[in-house]
Formats: sequence, C-alpha cells, structure tokens
Amino acid sequence: MPNPSPARMHDFEVISNEKIADGIFSLVISAPRLAFALKPGQFVNIRVPGDTSELLRLPLSYVASDPERGTVEIWYAVVGKGTQRMSEWGRGFTSDLLGPGGHGWRVPEGARRVLVVGGGIGVPPVLCLARELAAAGIAVDACVGSASASKLVGVEDFEALAAGEVRVATDDGTAGLHGFCTEPAAELLSSREYDYVATCGPGVMMSKVAASAIEAGVYCEASLERMMSCGFGACSTCNVETTDGMQGACMCGPVFDASKVVVW
Amino acid sequence: MAVDFGGVKMKNPINTASGTFGYGWQFSELMDVSQLGAITTKGCAAEPWPGNPAPRMAEVPGGMMNSVGLQNPGVAAFAEQSGPWLADLTAKGTQVICQVAGHSTEEYVRALEMFAELCPWAAGYEINVSCPNIAAGGAACGSTPEGASEVMRACRKVTDKPLFVKMAPVRIPEIARALEAEGADGLTVINSIPGMSIDVRTRRSRLSKPTGGLSGPLCHPIAVRMVWEASKAVDIPICGVGGVMTGEDAAEFILAGACCVSVGMASFVDPDASVRILRELEAWAESQGVKDINELIGAFEC
Repeated sequence: MPNPSPARMHDFEVISNEKIADGIFSLVISAPRLAFALKPGQFVNIRVPGDTSELLRLPLSYVASDPERGTVEIWYAVVGKGTQRMSEWGRGFTSDLLGPGGHGWRVPEGARRVLVVGGGIGVPPVLCLARELAAAGIAVDACVGSASASKLVGVEDFEALAAGEVRVATDDGTAGLHGFCTEPAAELLSSREYDYVATCGPGVMMSKVAASAIEAGVYCEASLERMMSCGFGACSTCNVETTDGMQGACMCGPVFDASKVVVW
Repeated sequence: MAVDFGGVKMKNPINTASGTFGYGWQFSELMDVSQLGAITTKGCAAEPWPGNPAPRMAEVPGGMMNSVGLQNPGVAAFAEQSGPWLADLTAKGTQVICQVAGHSTEEYVRALEMFAELCPWAAGYEINVSCPNIAAGGAACGSTPEGASEVMRACRKVTDKPLFVKMAPVRIPEIARALEAEGADGLTVINSIPGMSIDVRTRRSRLSKPTGGLSGPLCHPIAVRMVWEASKAVDIPICGVGGVMTGEDAAEFILAGACCVSVGMASFVDPDASVRILRELEAWAESQGVKDINELIGAFEC
C-alpha cells in the first residue's frame, strides 16, 4: 500500500497569539512532538472549537518550529469565522491538531542560491524555508508582496537573515515597489543564477513566478492552497490538477513541482 | 454487539461511509481500524476516473458539500495497492465492503466482475447508484425504481456474495421494494443529498459544478426518517448513513430500523471518531438494559 500521511494527533496549548499586521496574527503553541516532526512547507490541520455548525479543521502552514522549546509558530490571516475565533485565543487555551501534513519543499542537493517569493499570507512557508537554508549557509533572495504596507509580514525577518537581497512590492505602493512581487522576482531570475525557486501566495502570483522560473531554466516549487476536509488523504477533496493527473494537496502537496501544475 | 448485515457478519454495528474513509489504510496510523464491525471502501470503477475539477468541497453550516465525482484508481490498481492491507484487516475480524462505481449498467457489471476476481477478501459489495456528482442530466440512475432495478438485476447475476445498494435520498419506499425484489441483500440509506451553495459575491457555485452532495449532521434527521421509511417497506437489513457524530446519533438509526450504522464526515473531523462512536453506542445499549443490540433494531415507538 502507499504510505499513509505522516500526520498524527497532537494536543497543544497556546503560548501567545498576537496581531502582527492588519488582519494577520502570530500564534505560538506548545506541541513538543510536533515541533520535532515538522519540516518547512508542511501544514497542520487545527481544530477551532466554539461553533458546532463549523466542524472541519483549518489547514494552516507554519512559520517556525523550535524542537528545543517544543513550540510551533503559525501566522494566519483572519478571513472567516474560524480564524476570527482563533484570533480570540489567549495564553493557556488548549485544542488539538493533526500534523505534520503532506511533504515540504524539496530543495535540490547542493543548491547554492535560492529565490523565495511570498505573497500575502503565503509568506510563512517560504520564510520558514529561507531560515533553514540561511542556517545551512545557502544564499537566499526574497521577494515579498502584499496588498498594502499594513498587511506586509516577514520583511524584517528576511532582512535579519542577511542571506541575500530582499525586495518588497505592494499593490497600492505604500511600501516598496508599486505593483506585484512577481516583477522583482522575474528581474532577479533574469539577472542571477538560481538553483531553486520556492513560492507561495495567490494562484495568479505563483503561476507568474513559475513561468519566470521555467523561462530561466530553474526548478520551481509552489505551495498550493485548497479546501480540505480530512487533510490526511482519505477524502479526495483537495485536488490539484497536474500533468500527472488529479493529486491531493494534502498528500502529494501542498508543495508541488510548479512545472506540473495545470490549474492554479 | 454483533449484527448480520445481509450476510456480512459484523462484530459490532459500526461501519464507515464510502468516500469518507479512503481505502482504510489512510487511517491505520491514526486509529485501530480493526475495532470496527466493517469498513466500506471508496467507490472504484472498472477503469480509473479523474473526478471533478477543484474546488470539490465547500463547508456549510452543520455540514459540507462535495463534488469529488468518484475519483478512483480503478479496481485493478485498488486491488493491487490496497488489497493486502484490506485482506489483513479482514483477518483481524473487520469486514470489508467494497463500493462499486459506474456510469451505466454495463460499467457496474464490469467493475463488479473485476472485484469478484481481484478482491477475494471482500465480504460484500455496495453498488453506488446514487452519486449526485456523476449523474447525467442531474438524476442518478438510482433515482427511479426502474433504473435501480436494472442495475441490481444485472449485478445479482455476477456474484453470490452479499450485494448492497447505496440509495439516493428520493422515493425510498418504492425503490427499496424494487431492490429487494431484485435480490439486494441490504440497503445503505442514504447517499449525500444534492444541494447548491453559491458565492454571492462572485455569483459562482462554491464548487466547480453547480450542485454537489450535502452531508454531515445537518442531514441526520432526514436520513433517520428515510431509514425508518425503508425499514417499514422491506425486510432486508439497512445500514443507516448521514451525519452520525455521536453514539446517540447512531442509536437513532438503530431505533429507526437500521441494523448497522456508517460514520462519515465525523472521521474527517476526528480520524478515530468511529471508534469513539462505537464505545458510546455500546454504553447506550447497556443503558437500555439489553444484552443484544439486535433487540433495539427498529425499537422506535411512536
């Protein structure tokens, strides 16, 4: 039989839950076994109690895990009733989650320079990867985008890595370039040699980054978002159409070879 | 707690709803599947099906809608990939019911022939004549007594093993009687209910198709009513399906006349929900002062 999902049930306790930008929160939880198991690009499927009419878990990426302290940090945008309830969680709140889900980024062995491109709430999984790569001495350039300066996250974290260049773009021009982060990404890809590109954000953004990477002949992976029911390969609802057929984002993703994605 | 579901001897009444439990092994690291009376595997057809485009799922208050469209690898790949694990599960005393998918009577027969040849460990088969997401013209072939009978009659010739039919949530008494007459060993009541969910900002369906199958606890009272109607109409046993989240929900089906109960959406929320529901059902049976769960089947009093 194929391998079951690596996801296991973990109880967790909230350590902190703070607003870090307009409509975006940082949640730090204590979940020691999970912190040890997570790899950049994987996700967790969180139970958000409090409303019996909303039953399904919320699948979210994570931005940092600290195996020594046993903590995991998640950045999430308040976009619906579930994330609204999450934003009200205080220290000591407990719930459970299933994780780690799927597989993470597959950076080619021996990569020396990597480009990461994150848009909006797509920043956390690429920042998570950038931190790991920077710690391993790999050069990382980052392009970060958002609708507006007030919604921008991760810029200072990328800069603190001092692993490469950081380019910023906002849709309304209130920070960095007035436009989309796909533009500086295309510019960097045409002017520098990269061994790998990782991107996460809106589908349109990722498809443009992928096109630029393919044009430059660089292997690119994208982390896709889909509505999920189970998150561990049982329901076939989180499908991504690829050149290899329909694949579930929870098991075959959420990170996909961008050149194989047919429908973003 | 043992029940006999149309020749499938279950050590307890808890089964899993096809399409919500994968092929069983997906849950192998998250729970002890062998505690269950039976599992029903996701429908497979003679050939692989790609299923519908994304999005395939939309959450609605009290449930969810799906338009998966029976994505499956085909019976041959299913038997090769999942067969050994399922055979092992059978050896542990949990019965495996394989769901059979098709677009036409010929396709059901072909798929069932392949199951009969490649899956000797299967305890029985569930013919899915009621998937709301593959039907031509909006009506599944199981939506009329004639359509359901035709499929059942042809499939009955293929195997002597227990054959069940997953029923559409329409015309339950007459279709149930027609299926019993054609030799069905039991009925699975009900499949998801055709529904619609529209994003009013974009004016588009929240699924990739206009309609999808509604499931979850909001369907439960409808399903209980339909199990009751079916149990009055036929003598063959019934498996109740629809929004079972607790042992009490399962007990309602038993009282309405079901001999066993399938857990569906609850397994998405909590992978081991089916085992918890089994424990709760056992506690309920004990609280009712019976030694045998069979004493409670159809024990509903008006």
